[in-house]
Amino acid sequence: MKFTSSRYLVKEGLKNIWNNRMMSLASVVVLVSCLVITGAAVLISANVNNLISTIGDDNQINVYLDYQMSDIEAIRLGTEIKTIPNVDECKFFSKDEGIKEFKDKIGNDLYQSMQGDDNPLGHVYKVRLKDLSEYSSTIDEIKKIDGVVSVSDRAAIARTLTKLNYFVAIAGFWVVLILGIVTLFIISNTIKMTMYSRRFEISIMKSVGATNTFVRIPFIIEAMSIGLLAGLLSSAALIGIYDPVRESAGSMLSMLATATIPLSDVWLRILLALSGAGILIGALGGFISITKYLRKEGGEILGW
Amino acid sequence: MIHLENVSKVYPNGTEALKNISLDIEQGEFVFIVGPSGAGKSTFLKLLIHEETATFGKIRVNGYDLTNIKQRKVPYLRRTMGIVFQDFRLIEKMNVYDNIAFAMRAIGAHERDIKKRVRFVIDMVGLNGKEKCRPNELSGGEQQRVSLARALVNNPEMLIADEPTGNIDPKMSFDIMKKLVEINNRGTTIIVVTHEHELVKEFGGRVVIIKGGEIELDKKLPTKYHPSDETDVSEEDSEEAE
Repeated sequence: MKFTSSRYLVKEGLKNIWNNRMMSLASVVVLVSCLVITGAAVLISANVNNLISTIGDDNQINVYLDYQMSDIEAIRLGTEIKTIPNVDECKFFSKDEGIKEFKDKIGNDLYQSMQGDDNPLGHVYKVRLKDLSEYSSTIDEIKKIDGVVSVSDRAAIARTLTKLNYFVAIAGFWVVLILGIVTLFIISNTIKMTMYSRRFEISIMKSVGATNTFVRIPFIIEAMSIGLLAGLLSSAALIGIYDPVRESAGSMLSMLATATIPLSDVWLRILLALSGAGILIGALGGFISITKYLRKEGGEILGW
Repeated sequence: MIHLENVSKVYPNGTEALKNISLDIEQGEFVFIVGPSGAGKSTFLKLLIHEETATFGKIRVNGYDLTNIKQRKVPYLRRTMGIVFQDFRLIEKMNVYDNIAFAMRAIGAHERDIKKRVRFVIDMVGLNGKEKCRPNELSGGEQQRVSLARALVNNPEMLIADEPTGNIDPKMSFDIMKKLVEINNRGTTIIVVTHEHELVKEFGGRVVIIKGGEIELDKKLPTKYHPSDETDVSEEDSEEAE
């Protein structure tokens, strides 16, 4: 296609958006909602996956002892843990240190009332493993030791997170599918309206020998521009709220502050993916409606 | 140029619009297609521009075999002809210049060529000074001239005018017909579909009468109007050459 034609076609496509601005705006709004939800679902999923792998890579477990266990008994139990071949390191974390960690949260009065025998916490051993592949068998061995109440089971956390990830993926899929269909419908209607308002021009173009491609291009450009605009707006929205959401999640659970993906690693991908998706949905919506319309001839185009 | 051989057209609702018609129109001819409403004139035109396909028979137009033409070739067939509509079909939001230029832009012509050619056809149809006017600022006759200029701007081999005088007064009708004769004198084949017998009698030439989907008469009447008496078309040609 010649340069002058391309310039003319692009200009016509952009002019269509302005001439049909209310429908274009409606398309952009619906497409932005669709893309923001899709992007959010993908980002949540990516962060949960990152969290799962961070937890999986951590070879430290907590062994919680009976809260009535004395210090001497706890030390004896520690030596027993150290005899397990897969244990690399075993650090004692007394119940006094444990309750001190809660001082700020429970307040000084309650903290003071929970000293000595009134301390509801038990001693804890922070155990580092040599080989993560023997994680389950080592956990079972530790659990068998008399006086061990529970072991922090990262596999259970990973399972919960995997379930959450699955839920996010399934819910995200349906939401995106439904909103995607709605968006396609709205975009194709916008293009249909533009085509209807320009039916004279289309009929004249066809009568003077314009090819279907030539007639189609301005409408495809219009739809793709709507898609691109929606992609850019939704990227800006997601990039804008990403860090505040990440920070507030991190303040609730300290692990999330370090295990989530930093914005610097994802912003470009968000921008490219959402803009690309917007353009693609726009092109598809435009293509569907115009192809149907271009099969008409002469009076049919004008509705006579 | 145009060859129809035993052509019939039956619409899906069973209407037989054309019945076994055969017709040849040579390059440079001026032909009136005459007939009452519902005679099959519009169907005949639609077959020529491939808006409809024949149910039976063979059609050949400007070197294209319309019986087997591929859809992607249809635009190129249409570039060999210009069409003038009874209702003008001008774009209201465009001025005269843009309405005419639109036909060239639609086939991807270069802006420099568009400028040159549009000026030439505006001059040819006598619309100098009206370039910036919108269609609603023009009389019916002037609007039809814009439509004529648009049909001519891509320099077609053949011009089809569908009831070109149907929406304008008799004086304007005569002007439009004179323009068509002038264009014909430059070598362009002209096919005028009309039901105005007075115009046919006035201008003469080949007359094909269609009635009930059949050719009732195909006769050459004496040509009564000679544009060279009034307008020197060759001047316009030399202007274009400049």
